[in-house]
Amino acid sequence: MFDPILQLEHITKSFDGKKILNDFDLEIGRNEFVTLLGPSGCGKSTILRIIGGFVRPDSGRVFFDAQDITMLPPEKRNVNTVFQKYSLFPHMNVEENIAFGLKLKKKSSDYIRDKVKYALKLVNLDGFEKRDTLSLSGGQQQRVAIARAIVNEPEVLLLDEPLGALDLKLRHEMQRELIKIKKEVGITFLYVTHDQEEALMMSDRIIVMNKGIIQQAGDSKSIYDEPQNAFVADFIGESNIIDGIMVKDLLVNIQGVDFPCVDTGFGENNPVDVVIRPEDLEIVKAGEGYLTGQVISIIFKGAYYEIKVKVNDYEWMIQSVDPAPIGELVGLTIDPDNIQIMHKPLRDDEEVVRDE
Amino acid sequence: MNEDKVRNGNKRSLLSGPYALWIAGFTILPLIVIMKYALTDKTGAFTTANLTAIFTDPINRKALWLSLKIAVGTTLICILLSYPMVLAMKHLGLGKKGFSLFIIILPMWMNFILRVLAWQMILSNNGLLNLLLTTLGFEPVRIANTETAIMIGSVYDYLPYMMLPIFTAIMEINEDLIEAAKDLGAGGFTVFRKVIFPLSIPGLLSGFVMVFVPSMTSFVIADILGGGKLQLIGNIIEQEFTTANNWPAGSGLSVMLMLLVLISTAFTMRRKTEGRESALW
Repeated sequence: MFDPILQLEHITKSFDGKKILNDFDLEIGRNEFVTLLGPSGCGKSTILRIIGGFVRPDSGRVFFDAQDITMLPPEKRNVNTVFQKYSLFPHMNVEENIAFGLKLKKKSSDYIRDKVKYALKLVNLDGFEKRDTLSLSGGQQQRVAIARAIVNEPEVLLLDEPLGALDLKLRHEMQRELIKIKKEVGITFLYVTHDQEEALMMSDRIIVMNKGIIQQAGDSKSIYDEPQNAFVADFIGESNIIDGIMVKDLLVNIQGVDFPCVDTGFGENNPVDVVIRPEDLEIVKAGEGYLTGQVISIIFKGAYYEIKVKVNDYEWMIQSVDPAPIGELVGLTIDPDNIQIMHKPLRDDEEVVRDE
Repeated sequence: MNEDKVRNGNKRSLLSGPYALWIAGFTILPLIVIMKYALTDKTGAFTTANLTAIFTDPINRKALWLSLKIAVGTTLICILLSYPMVLAMKHLGLGKKGFSLFIIILPMWMNFILRVLAWQMILSNNGLLNLLLTTLGFEPVRIANTETAIMIGSVYDYLPYMMLPIFTAIMEINEDLIEAAKDLGAGGFTVFRKVIFPLSIPGLLSGFVMVFVPSMTSFVIADILGGGKLQLIGNIIEQEFTTANNWPAGSGLSVMLMLLVLISTAFTMRRKTEGRESALW
């Protein structure tokens, strides 16, 4: 049963005359790990700031536990934020930073001491109480920031690209720890990131956004396997996105060849976008696949090879554990399951983002 | 090659020559001269009487006490005025540097004496202030030639020196920190007390030094606004050198005043060496 803790209704917000959010709706369930995923400027941070109380929407309402909190100032909301730039108070040590919220709530000093100790243990910083925040590494500072937020036992924890400033290895480590912390404290996490891998790994539910509009919402697997438009397909993972024509149900024509697929309901002889993940394409002997083309490049990526095969004018990207020599003619084949059919974009926010 | 480096290094250090010469000629040499005068009497014999005179002579003692009162009062009032003004500027979005800095600095462009004279006109018994008060139906006040008048003049003159470093320190506080404090449940005043004020202390200390020291040692403001009746230690030193022509006495007072000022500002210096830079130096 879906038990919403946060609801955003018809939120509109403009900055300097530019509409960031237009009639935006969102529901977050209790104890969910929800990620807002999208490119920078898509409005995801604005949503977080509206929930945190730092930005007031031009119109629309925010509900917390069915209470309208739209006009409530940040200090009165039962949510806490972990900021991207840590934002630790430089004039306080680790313990004072973490105790900040508890002291304002006039908790007893015994309670505060125990809580700080517990929080530090939770973020793997036992015994760091008296450290100066400026002497900590970026990863440690972010852990303190997380501890500082969760000691207040907020019902919702807002995380604004909290790992954005960390290096890759540390980021992976922190991702696993965040999942662990989430399980331990059992509160709702609303996470904002532009890193699709991070979103796929951590979230119960991902909300993919572009230009202030939700493109798709669902769990990691459905977002990855069944992108609903070209934007999502392109933004989440690597993909081949190519024009196709839906001949009829269960049959799509790509580059003049008919492929069996599993999609229905796109009408007959309608142009569609087709998404095929690079790891789903298989290289076979020339003539044995649906398509035949020439290998034009191969890059070793560690766990696999990234191979480009040119068929007519389109370069297919394939991820394969077996190499293929450049110049060789090869065939390409694919399971019907792995062909994802999408409607052509109706609006520009559904289109692939092009780097100009 | 090493030798080259050394020689280059020496060449470079020559560039500081003019500065060293300036310091030697205009700071160290005068200090030595003043010290010499302070430690000799009119006949040239060694004495410490000039130094102790600041405490032994009742006139000096009274002037020193008044100077301290004015300096402490001025500094406190400047602090109390600076914070609300700076915070107001920040909230009005005047923090976009240029304009608000301009407002703070503007009075400093006028001649110092002129500013003090203007206050004399305003505060005199038939001045603008009383004109305003009587027009509004209030009793006129008699603050010309009082400590209050000196204090008002000092505050007006030295306020920018307090505001500027506090302004700089507060503008440097990352907005994220203020949001983080609110996020953790701090209301407006708590944010100020727990985050803004502690982080502005380096600016406050710079301001303290820049207001306390000159208001302790000045004599022009007391001269004009005190009507020559109220003497600060600065006025006495001035008179020893000019009208009384008693250089040893003046030098002795100067040296002692310098020591007192150094002691009273010493703790601000110690804070600064702890690593957190102050806003102005």
